[in-house]
Amino acid sequence: MATTAEGFDAPTAGHGGDHSHDHADHKPGFFARWFMSTNHKDIGTLYLIFAIIAGIVGGAISGIMRMELAEPGIQYLQFWAQFMGGTSDINTALHMWNVFITAHGLIMVFFMVMPAMIGGFGNWFVPLMIGAPDMAFPRMNNVSFWLTVAGFFSLLFSLFVPGGTGPGAGVGWTVYAPLSTTGSVGPAVDFAIFSLHLAGAGSILGATNFITTIFNMRAPGMTLHKMPLFVWSVLVTAFLLLLALPVLAAAITMLLTDRNFGTTFFDPAGGGDPVLYQHLFWFFGHPEVYIMILPGFGMISQIVATFSRKPVFGYLGMAYAMVAIGVVGFIVWAHHMYTVGLDVNTKMYFTAATMVIAVPTGVKIFSWVATMWGGSLEFKSPMVWAMGFIFLFTVGGVTGVVLANGGIDDNLHDTYYVVAHFHYVLSMGAVFSLFAGFYYWFPKMSGRMHSELLSHLHFWLFFIGVNVIFFPQHFLGMNGMPRRYPDYPEAFAFWNEISTYGYVIMAGSMLIFFANLAYAFTAGRKAGNNPWGEGATTLEWTLSSPPPFHQFETLPVIEDHHDYHDHMPRDGSPATA
Amino acid sequence: MSSVNPSIDDKNLRTGGLALLGALAMLGLGYAAVPLYDLFCRVTGFGGTTQVASEADASRAAQAGIDREISIRFDASTARDVPWSFRPAQATDTVRIGRRDIASYIARNDDSVAITGTATFNVEPAQAGKYFHKIQCFCFTEQTLQPGQEVNMPVLYYVDPAILEDEFMADVEQITLSYTFHRAKEAVSTGS
Amino acid sequence: MMGHIHTRLKLGLIALLAAATAMMAPQAAIAQEVVGADVPASAEPQEVPAGETEAADASSGYVPMDPVEGKGMPTSAEDDIWASMTFQDQYTADGAYALGMHDYILLPVITLISLFVLGLLLWVILRYNRKANPVPSKTTHNTLIEVVWTIVPVIILVIIAVPSITLLARQYETPPEDAITIKATGYQWYWGYTYPDHGEVEIISNMLSDADAIANGEPAQLAVDNRMVVPAGVPLRIQTTAADVIHAFAVPSLWFKMDAVPGRLNEKMLTIEEPGLYYGQCSELCGARHAYMPIAVEALPMAEFEAWILEQGGSLPGAEETTDEALPLGQETGVEVDADSDAADADIPAP
Repeated sequence: MATTAEGFDAPTAGHGGDHSHDHADHKPGFFARWFMSTNHKDIGTLYLIFAIIAGIVGGAISGIMRMELAEPGIQYLQFWAQFMGGTSDINTALHMWNVFITAHGLIMVFFMVMPAMIGGFGNWFVPLMIGAPDMAFPRMNNVSFWLTVAGFFSLLFSLFVPGGTGPGAGVGWTVYAPLSTTGSVGPAVDFAIFSLHLAGAGSILGATNFITTIFNMRAPGMTLHKMPLFVWSVLVTAFLLLLALPVLAAAITMLLTDRNFGTTFFDPAGGGDPVLYQHLFWFFGHPEVYIMILPGFGMISQIVATFSRKPVFGYLGMAYAMVAIGVVGFIVWAHHMYTVGLDVNTKMYFTAATMVIAVPTGVKIFSWVATMWGGSLEFKSPMVWAMGFIFLFTVGGVTGVVLANGGIDDNLHDTYYVVAHFHYVLSMGAVFSLFAGFYYWFPKMSGRMHSELLSHLHFWLFFIGVNVIFFPQHFLGMNGMPRRYPDYPEAFAFWNEISTYGYVIMAGSMLIFFANLAYAFTAGRKAGNNPWGEGATTLEWTLSSPPPFHQFETLPVIEDHHDYHDHMPRDGSPATA
Repeated sequence: MSSVNPSIDDKNLRTGGLALLGALAMLGLGYAAVPLYDLFCRVTGFGGTTQVASEADASRAAQAGIDREISIRFDASTARDVPWSFRPAQATDTVRIGRRDIASYIARNDDSVAITGTATFNVEPAQAGKYFHKIQCFCFTEQTLQPGQEVNMPVLYYVDPAILEDEFMADVEQITLSYTFHRAKEAVSTGS
Repeated sequence: MMGHIHTRLKLGLIALLAAATAMMAPQAAIAQEVVGADVPASAEPQEVPAGETEAADASSGYVPMDPVEGKGMPTSAEDDIWASMTFQDQYTADGAYALGMHDYILLPVITLISLFVLGLLLWVILRYNRKANPVPSKTTHNTLIEVVWTIVPVIILVIIAVPSITLLARQYETPPEDAITIKATGYQWYWGYTYPDHGEVEIISNMLSDADAIANGEPAQLAVDNRMVVPAGVPLRIQTTAADVIHAFAVPSLWFKMDAVPGRLNEKMLTIEEPGLYYGQCSELCGARHAYMPIAVEALPMAEFEAWILEQGGSLPGAEETTDEALPLGQETGVEVDADSDAADADIPAP
């Protein structure tokens, strides 16, 4: 990991030397720069490194899970139970499974996707794209990051302390009561919950920061309706975070007090209701899935426009589709609870409301296609990832329409079909957009070009790998395999085995990704201000690569072009002039 | 660090403060959800929550003079840590809609120590909740049973005549009233 | 039908006996639990307390049904690759409706949409790559097309919504008063089934070990020691609750899934169309052995179900009434066994 950190650091520092801006490139010492950082680009880098590390941990856990599921029976869980400090007892081994699914889910959601999208790319590019010198609250930005790191450590720590049947919190990322209260003795669940508090607090502060930055710090002329769609996506996401996360915080705080201080918010023994926890969790949880995908939507819009050499089609429709998705996202939560015992009217309402989401999502898919239509497409690495995203997100989206039907969900609820669905929209939606964004902005962030060959190889192997992992899981789910199972009847063996092969392919592709990083930092050629050509019109491409430590000390002026998407200032790039 | 001018900082503090206030409000709403959900369930019968009625309400309902009957099923469960045998005196009963009726449950403490239990309840189908009125119920208070003690626990209830006007209740032939006894919270901390 | 009168009379008598036994032993439920728990997995579940052994002899005796390959269970890819890729065959009317909705509406629609988007992507790749189209157009708006791609999905969704809402309405039909009531209680980590109208029979259902399951000719991890036995062809009132944490009672081939939530009762009607053995698994994370608390529903013809009930030491609803009201027993039980719809009438005389 350290090599990655230095890798990010080195070219930035090296580049600083030959830059003409003395003030702009005055950097603090190593400790002050990376541990007390208030610079949005440095914090963005830290977030990205952190997300990569968390992604390796979360991905390794999914490797353990796919290994275990390669064939029926319990193969390796006893080993892992002892490895984590538990006993070789079979129930401890089975508990380890629940710990792994919990850790995988929480890590990927809170410590990989969110930090990468919002913390990483959001921090790096929102100020650059709106022509701001930095975030509105740079010190709070630093606090957000370290809270997230602390949350991650709290979660890792929970793996090694007692959690009931064995070490670790085996309650699922949803932390349903009463399994998470009376059902799990020991501090592991407390630490897992506390990790969500820390990460949640970090995200709320981050959301405040983004909202303030986007509302107040835009360069002159950069009206809301001229903002790049990535900024729009981060703005909507920030509002979702701000409104959804406190509800999670309240719910999990009540879990904590139920566990430790004798309250009975979700305990029927004291008049509480475990179903209320689910309502609260999913009131957060459903917006959360849009929190994870909306910034991806924004990145895909930028990338598709760049490599089509064409402004985004239907800019306003795209922006307000995201707003619509965000708003509707708050009123569909109970579709995660179809089997909990809802009455018929409630279930009909949530079925109908959920299906409505398909409309703005469809608008986005078709607008991306329309952006490419008539364009002059160049299939650079970010573009192939973006096109992969559009197709795979569509596949994940349409299975969502299937699951939206309460009556169909009676069969599919909590089966592998659901697992397949949300991995298509996350592991292929969110992660594909992350890789697209990474390859898109890596030259800007590092000043070096990555290898197009390796990037394409990474794409194709990853594309094949994740499809081999997750497409058969639709079959497993329809045929009845419940999720969160470490072991299964013989009948499910074949498709599980195939799925595990897919993991191997996917893992192999990640080696190429890291090789590509190593290549770029050691031998990658220097990236100019704008390596992607005339299609890249947003402000960050007017700056050097990497951008100066402080940019836009003279604010750029965005003139009215009567075109929503041409943000390039007429007078060239103010910061480098 | 990059203060452009003092006014933008003030503006930022205002916007950021408002945003944090919004977050704080949502946090409050998260907690408020507990009593609000409870209230919502009580008022609308959501999730099969039964209603509490006074004697006066019951008399008014009886005056409606409805000549229709409905079957009521009585269900009893115990949480795992409650060593009671708890069952309805009769599994089903047929009542005149609007007329008050009494049902009883029998609970016996099979343990060698006194145990205090508290009961949760709901009716199925869930949409029947707002029409199922309890006038008196053992579930309103905690119940302590001495070792081996067996008690008869009555529920005085009636079915609201308004049930006949609800199209979602038109096909309902039987309403199940379910109780689950849990160990009262105090008993958990002192008893074990 | 007439030929069965004698059997019915005999059943009625036995039921009366059983009910009386149950009345005398208020601990019946607990006793059953102990029986269920103590009997080793390999032993037949007919081993009921002494008083009921005659009952077991009187009827032909319950023999656990052998599973039928591919019915009520998942299909392995080796046996039938296509069947392993889709839903299990359905044995309820609502399940058949839901499956039809999936197979004939949802699956074609989502496949077409996915292929349509894929086709569009391939088309733009071929037609609008930089070589083929070096000069990009500057089109950024087309109100007509934007309206079309908003309205068309709405229309598709409305088309989906009609059967979807219909399906929900069907699934929420409430059971008739005389539906056979079975209450499934989730425990960490097994299921308990009680039959409140049948003398508080309680069946404790634990997973069989892989070896025992295979010895029985049943699929490992789906087979249980004591099954939930129900009558086929009549409406069942399935109620679920849990004693500790949330579980979910799920049987894929019956399109049935309902959470078992501690402190509340959930209810749903289920009508299994034909006798058979239908396997399911707990479908809400409930702790370490979540994967090891399967559900096996054995649907039998009504007469065999009633015989089974009696073997378990239970009683038939009519018989219970007779003990309460001292009504002529042959008549009552005869009515009871004859047609389930009459059971309602049998209940009503109770004040």
